[in-house]
Amino acid sequence: MAMIPAIDIQDLSVSFPGRSGVVQALQNLTLTVAPGTVYGFLGPNGAGKTTTLQVLLGFQEATSGTARLFGCPITQSIAREKIGYMSENPDTYPFLTGRELLTMAGRLFNLPSSVIRKRSTQLLEETGLCGAADQRIALYSRGMRQRICMAQALINDPELLILDEPAGGLDPLGRRDIRTLIAARKAAGKTIFFSSHELSEVELACDRIAILSKGRLIAEGPVNALVPPGESLERFFIKSVTA
Amino acid sequence: MKQILTLTVVVWLEMMRRKDLYVLLILMATLLAGLLSFDIFGLSGVAGYVKDMGLLAVWLLAWILAINTSVRQLPQEEQRGTLFPLLAKPVSRLTLILGKWLGAWSITGFALACLYLTLCLGVSLKGGRFDAMTLLQAMALHGAALGLICALGIALSTRMNRDAATVTTYVVTAAAFILLPRVPSLLLGASGIMNTALYALYYLFPHFELFDLRRRLVHDWGCAPWLTVAGILVYALLMTMAFLSLAWLGYRKRRFSRGDIL
Repeated sequence: MAMIPAIDIQDLSVSFPGRSGVVQALQNLTLTVAPGTVYGFLGPNGAGKTTTLQVLLGFQEATSGTARLFGCPITQSIAREKIGYMSENPDTYPFLTGRELLTMAGRLFNLPSSVIRKRSTQLLEETGLCGAADQRIALYSRGMRQRICMAQALINDPELLILDEPAGGLDPLGRRDIRTLIAARKAAGKTIFFSSHELSEVELACDRIAILSKGRLIAEGPVNALVPPGESLERFFIKSVTA
Repeated sequence: MKQILTLTVVVWLEMMRRKDLYVLLILMATLLAGLLSFDIFGLSGVAGYVKDMGLLAVWLLAWILAINTSVRQLPQEEQRGTLFPLLAKPVSRLTLILGKWLGAWSITGFALACLYLTLCLGVSLKGGRFDAMTLLQAMALHGAALGLICALGIALSTRMNRDAATVTTYVVTAAAFILLPRVPSLLLGASGIMNTALYALYYLFPHFELFDLRRRLVHDWGCAPWLTVAGILVYALLMTMAFLSLAWLGYRKRRFSRGDIL
């Protein structure tokens, strides 16, 4: 039996009205991400990475084409049952405590209370927030907020983790935490799909990459097959998007 | 239902921790203390005067709380960026709207109960009392009206920013409360388009005057017929459902983008 892809995007186009006419953010994007892959989604600013993530996460609708998460159309909210999402900005409720945030996230995934308690404790330990678990998030530093958001994204033990610029704005320790997270998820056989400008991180972590430019897919494949020997991913990336 | 209740709990936690409710209760207590201590036109000894002014204060404060609480729910999620992790979970937009509405309504209802309790204490200090059954009817209808106001506020906030939605909800609810009861008399002298417009206004906007039992309470007229009360509650339910449906229609296809739009 054929394996169901974690992400299956077919002919996806997105356009919306801009100040000077219609903006074509994505043009006929077709992309498949197999389960268990660490997938880097690259492109310069304005290439369409964020739009793709927004469509996958249900923040906006595609103009045409289809997208599925584990075989389920993204238009159905149930498609997001197996995913975890973390953005560059640690946006969360400042009036909740870390533990309350994790409980809320678990309930939104319809997890049983006993599972929520167990997962929360485990994630708070893993993220080093045990001591601050019952403190309001308003009192957390940026790094702590990033870590509680990371814990929130993992509360349902997601099969697919979507990370939008996960290392953006982080100090070296925060970046190390993200690297550790990706490695741990990869070792557990989970799929990770992340957009990033940090090409050195991508080169280290990813099995496959896709490069977008002006809303079109210009390169896709395993990192070592795409990047010629002796050349860095950064050089390859710059050559590809300026060609 | 679990998801709706979770979202409701978040609204409660925010309201309790922002201490909005306490401010409102302190304001009500201060108003009552003022009413009890000042002797305006020699009426300070009359419990009916305290009832009348106190009920007006309860209506005004509950109205303000219902609008301010409901209208900020959805725009605030977007502004704070918490909408995105929320929508990335298996939470439908209808669930989000229902959770926010239930949160806003239940916290306003709780505040309403506290306000009535404070008023009852104030009235009893003047030697007066409310008829228990009439008070129950008044609170039930008042609560239903607040549910309707919350639904209207949420519906408007799906397509407007927070400030615009707040002002519009205040204007619409105040106009409905003050002007709609006068429409039948205006209809007598209207014709043509004016007549149709007045009819449309009369039937489309909620009739908040139906929910107002203040005069019954102040003048001890006794209970309203239970069948009428039940009919008004059904009317409130239908109007609330209509506004929540409008909210869903306005929200279900809305595009949310964060940061760089591309």
